[in-house]
Parts: sequence; structure tokens; C-alpha cells
Amino acid sequence: MKSVVTTVVAAADQGARFPSSSDLESVQGSLQRAAARMEAADKLAGNYDAVAQEAVNAIYSKYPNGQGRDMDAGTQKDKCKRDIVHFLRLINYSLVVGGTGPVDEWGINGAREVYKALGIGTDTFVCGLSFLRTRGCADRDMSAQALVEYNALLDYVINAMS
Amino acid sequence: MLDAFSKAVTAADAGGKFVGGGDLDSLKAFVADGNKRLDAVNAIASNASCIVTDSVAGIVCESPGLTAPGGGVYTNRKMAACLRDGEIILRYISYAVLTGDASVLTDRCLNGLKETYSALGVPTGNTARAVAIMKACAVAHVNDSNTEAQAGSKFRQMGAAKGDCAALTAEVASYFDAVGAAIG
Repeated sequence: MKSVVTTVVAAADQGARFPSSSDLESVQGSLQRAAARMEAADKLAGNYDAVAQEAVNAIYSKYPNGQGRDMDAGTQKDKCKRDIVHFLRLINYSLVVGGTGPVDEWGINGAREVYKALGIGTDTFVCGLSFLRTRGCADRDMSAQALVEYNALLDYVINAMS
Repeated sequence: MLDAFSKAVTAADAGGKFVGGGDLDSLKAFVADGNKRLDAVNAIASNASCIVTDSVAGIVCESPGLTAPGGGVYTNRKMAACLRDGEIILRYISYAVLTGDASVLTDRCLNGLKETYSALGVPTGNTARAVAIMKACAVAHVNDSNTEAQAGSKFRQMGAAKGDCAALTAEVASYFDAVGAAIG
């Protein structure tokens, strides 16, 4: 799975060389930011349900009838929240590995096709995730650097779904 | 290929769980000891040629039949292949140390190695012994515990600040043991 370390190792293996000092430098750069990433991952893991609920509320205030197949409103909201939680979980994973591998492989890859087939516009997710992007507050939710890492991944998913 | 971080993620994903709380403790330890790990990779990479040639010279000294006609490294061609393979194995071990996970070593190096060696008629007993010598040599370099008596004129140390490297040393040794187990 793509992370800074595996990317470095894959490149070294491609060239059949031992890890060089520049390889070790880039791994060290990733480790230096790891504390902030793990703080963000930990805070998100502890509060994801409330975070997802806020995103769902934001989506349904902009799209009161929701989108997609016919089903009762409660079920539809539940499924919407389930999908938001899914993306938050993948963001949690990406914070842990320090790369976009998990959101790429398990979230974004094929997402457009799936939601198109289900008749759900990706703008609904953009709406919900954009709300979360501006909702996070340094010090109240997590430290400033942790928030930067968390927001960067939200931006990444928002851009992929836009 | 996995690293210590993606291994935790893969395990959490199997249960649809977030990674948080206690799951992060081992990763935080990995980060805290990150510089030791990078020093260890550097120690292995910087002494790779010494580690590999020592191990091959070692098996040849212990089993003189290897260089006799019909032996495992008889002819320069086979000796060169042996040195090359030693370096490949050590290289994948250095990757495993860097990632903190054996998957790169098992997937890209050990998978099918035993079958390949038996098809080529490589004596696996001697190969395992060479890996054991590489282990002793690499562990000594990682700990900076090699001595002038062992190395003679080739003696050199990394000179990194000393610390408690017991866990890291055990991890490095375990990757060599995995190679020995895979081909033995």
C-alpha cells in the first residue's frame, strides 16, 4: 500500500539498490510529521460518529430530498451517513500511513462510477466534506498541525469528487 | 508491500474499524525510535559489500569442497552468482528493516526461492549458513559492536550514539531467521 516508506522502497527495488541517504531522509521527513498525523487519526477515531452526523446534516440542509434510489428518508440518511463514515475511516487510515494509499485504493477508485450508477451526485459528498473542511477548529478539536494534516486529506477527497 | 503503518490499517480495515487509541501505541513507538531504525538501515547498506563477501568467504572456508570441481561455487560464474544472491537477500532485508514489516522480503525475495535453488542445485545448507553469517555481521554493524580483532584492516564503525537497540536488533535478526527458515 502506498505510503512514504513503501514508495521509497519500491523505487529503490526498481533500481536494485540499497536504501540511500536521500531515501532515509524522505522517510525521516515523514516520521517527523507522524506525531501530528497520529493525533488527528486518534481524535477522528474517537469522534467520527458526531463528525459524520454533522456532514449528513449539512448535505440534507442543501439537498432536503436527498438523491438516489427511492427509499424512505430515514433509510436514505442512514446510508448517507454510512458512506461518510466510510470516507472518514479511509481518511483515518491515510493519516496513519502518511500517504493517500487507503483513500485512493478503497475510496476514490471507482467512486464516481458507483455513485453515478446509483443516481447520487458526487456534489452531495463535496457538500458534506466541504462542511467538515471548514468545521475543524485548531485547539478545540486537535492541534493546529494535526488539523492541517486532516484538512489536507479532506481536500484531497473533495478534489477527487469534484 | 506493507509497512508498519499500513499493516495496522489493513488489520483495522478487515473489521471496518478506525485506527485509534491503543492501536496507535506501537506506531508511536515506531516513530519515536525512527532514527534508530534509519541508522540501522544505513549501517547495513553502508557495509553491504563487507557483510556479503564475509559470509561467502565464510562458507568457503568452512566447506572447502564448495570451490572444488563440482562444488556449489566452483567456477567464477557460480561464485559471482552467489555473491549477487547474497547482496539481493541482504538488500531485501534492509527494505524490511526500513518498512518495519517482513512483507517486502517474503513477497519479493523468499517466495519461491527454495524451489528456485533446488531447481538450480544450490546447496541450501551452505546458503543458510551464509545467511547466518550475514546475520551476525549485520547485527554487529547495527549495534556498532564489531571489533578490530574480527575485522582486521577492514575494521570500521558507524559511530552513531549508543542507545538501547535490543528490540531493533531482535527485529533485524528475525528477518535473517526468516530467510534461513524459507530456504532451509
